[in-house]
Amino acid sequence: MTQENNIWEVAEKYVAGTLSTTALNSLHQRLQQDAAYSTLFHEHLNLIQSLENNKKQKQFRTLLQSIKTVQTPTSKKIRTIPLSTHYWRTAGIAAGIAIITTLSTFWMIRHNENQRASQYTMLRKELENIKRSQSAIINNINESKTNAPTIAASVSGTGVALSNNGYFITNYHVVEGSDSVYMQNAAGEYFKANLIAFDKNSDVALLKVDDKKFKFSKTDLPYNFASGKNNIGATVFTLGFPDNEVVYNEGYISAKNGFDGDSMQYLLNIPSKSGHSGAPVINKAGSIIGLIAANNTEATTTTYAVSSSAIYNLIKDLPVQIKLPKNSQLKNLDRSQQVEKLQAFTCSVKVFKH
Amino acid sequence: MNQALPTEQQLLEALAQGSRKATESIYRQHHKIIIGWIVQNGGDAVDAEDIFQEAMVILYEKAQDDGFRLSCKIGTYLFAICKHLWYKKLKKNQRTLLSGDEHYEKAYEDDIVAHEERELHYDQLDQALEKIGEPCRSLLKAYYQQDRSMQEIASDFGYTNADNAKTQKYKCLNRLRKLFYES
Repeated sequence: MTQENNIWEVAEKYVAGTLSTTALNSLHQRLQQDAAYSTLFHEHLNLIQSLENNKKQKQFRTLLQSIKTVQTPTSKKIRTIPLSTHYWRTAGIAAGIAIITTLSTFWMIRHNENQRASQYTMLRKELENIKRSQSAIINNINESKTNAPTIAASVSGTGVALSNNGYFITNYHVVEGSDSVYMQNAAGEYFKANLIAFDKNSDVALLKVDDKKFKFSKTDLPYNFASGKNNIGATVFTLGFPDNEVVYNEGYISAKNGFDGDSMQYLLNIPSKSGHSGAPVINKAGSIIGLIAANNTEATTTTYAVSSSAIYNLIKDLPVQIKLPKNSQLKNLDRSQQVEKLQAFTCSVKVFKH
Repeated sequence: MNQALPTEQQLLEALAQGSRKATESIYRQHHKIIIGWIVQNGGDAVDAEDIFQEAMVILYEKAQDDGFRLSCKIGTYLFAICKHLWYKKLKKNQRTLLSGDEHYEKAYEDDIVAHEERELHYDQLDQALEKIGEPCRSLLKAYYQQDRSMQEIASDFGYTNADNAKTQKYKCLNRLRKLFYES
């Protein structure tokens, strides 16, 4: 019994770390030599360790419980705040509120103005940083005899002829704020153009090539402009200049009214990207029903087009009479022939700004 | 006020010692966000508190090892353990999480297995203590659960001195050892 008690005592002291160095040494020696004692000792040791650890863990759980029940005692303490701190804090909060109010009011006003911008992406193309187009222009200077621009364009869009003698139409937002406008025809030649008229609300602008002898083509305009709205579901196609080359796309009319119920617009399902602004939208019969103006930020095939009636409205009160063709000659042609005939009358519009 | 904030390692060392301040600091820092996560993932407040407490215990047990170094932030460890425990509980109840995140079902598996084994071991020990019979049950409980000193136990149980109480305690330990290892 005394030997058993001795083992407990040694094990207890071993766990507590209170054995003297000599006692610890003799213990280790005995553990190595006496296998039976070693087994026995470890059994005792394990039990004591388990009991001790179990005790500690239970105490820790009790501690956790007491922390849980005493909810945030620190925040209930009374705090004294020095007057200066208090003053600055109040002033800080007041200033913060003032700034937030100012900014939110400003934002609300701006938001109303720019409501379109949130979902409505105008499809003019910003070119300022595109070196490629600059070198293209330089190449064109070398190639063509026309007075081509010497600097890179800031914005590009697409235009379509209203008459063979140089009147063409595009979106107003393409030419807005321009210093000078050049059109580049299907052959890649540059011609300076002047803004004749525009309507900011419906987003159309009329321009004319400066050169009096200019002609889009040897033949007259092969298409006409739809006088009323086409029906939804009608298949349509476009020719635009998203890059330096003319691009064909097709789709259909999704809705008779455009962005935010705008009755001067169509809602189309057709792919579009920047540079497409002003691109003609042509129906199966070869009539231009409108011009691409913008697309939805969230879905690039959701495209908005200005209706052709906006073009009629723009030209009807002008001092110069522009006579639009009554009929389309494209009616009975297949699509590739229609496109081929149209190409000569579409152009890229390059806009230069400071 | 000018005292530098303790590092995470210092916090863990203090936690291992059972320091209330360190425990409270860790508890308050992570309690809200973890409880929020569990409640968001289909637990009620009671479930959430249980899981969080268990994770704190696991951290405490881990911190007991002398060579223990956490390879990540305390918060990251606690969160991972809580997620794992919660997934386990859901699985046990045959429910699955809508936003299945397999990764956390395996995080710190070893620590959790070790914890479960330890809990089972402690349970068996507690059960053995219940079966040991008086006066041993009360005496060992007084020493190993209520943290009474041998001096106090001697006077409480009517022993003439602490040494006599100690001898009685060793007798009781012998019984416990027999119950525990031979059953």
